[in-house]
Amino acid sequence: MEKKIKWESSLDAALARARAEQKPVFLDFFNPH
Amino acid sequence: MGAVTYPKAEVVEFVEQNLVPLQVLSDAPLAKDFNLQWTPTLIVLDTDGKEHHRAIGFLPPEELIPMLMVGIGKCYFDNQQFDKAISTLEKLLAQYPKSDAAPEAVYLLGVARYKSTHDPKPLKQAYEQLASQYAASEWTKRASPYRLL
Repeated sequence: MEKKIKWESSLDAALARARAEQKPVFLDFFNPH
Repeated sequence: MGAVTYPKAEVVEFVEQNLVPLQVLSDAPLAKDFNLQWTPTLIVLDTDGKEHHRAIGFLPPEELIPMLMVGIGKCYFDNQQFDKAISTLEKLLAQYPKSDAAPEAVYLLGVARYKSTHDPKPLKQAYEQLASQYAASEWTKRASPYRLL
């Protein structure tokens, strides 16, 4: 099965995970159109 | 990015192992907080949400990963974790020596080594490496004063 990046969608959730996992956050601002 | 770069297995693996990925629409309120002007805009934040590195525009897989490695290295560097910064930047240069991010990595590596030892030799070595391998890079110009050390 093809793997995909499991994106967080809220900064608060991403930062909570970042602190728990001791990893930086990769923030991608995108425009779907 | 979504069609070409993000589906690549090496990108998925790198991001999942080294970062917490956060994807936000360009018209979301958070975009204003980061002064977003264009997409894609790719930013590396530390665990406190502080920005350390930013890139604008499309990056293919072989450029995205080293760009992110510079961002990770800068998180460590800016937080004075020089050993971790050095390790990250050395890995970048070993794996992606021809990437657009490589000259900045050479520069930062020289500075991180200097900051961790207070020995100026790494600064001169960084300039010499930049001059020999990345002569046209802006980072070679920025390091040029170190040739006099």
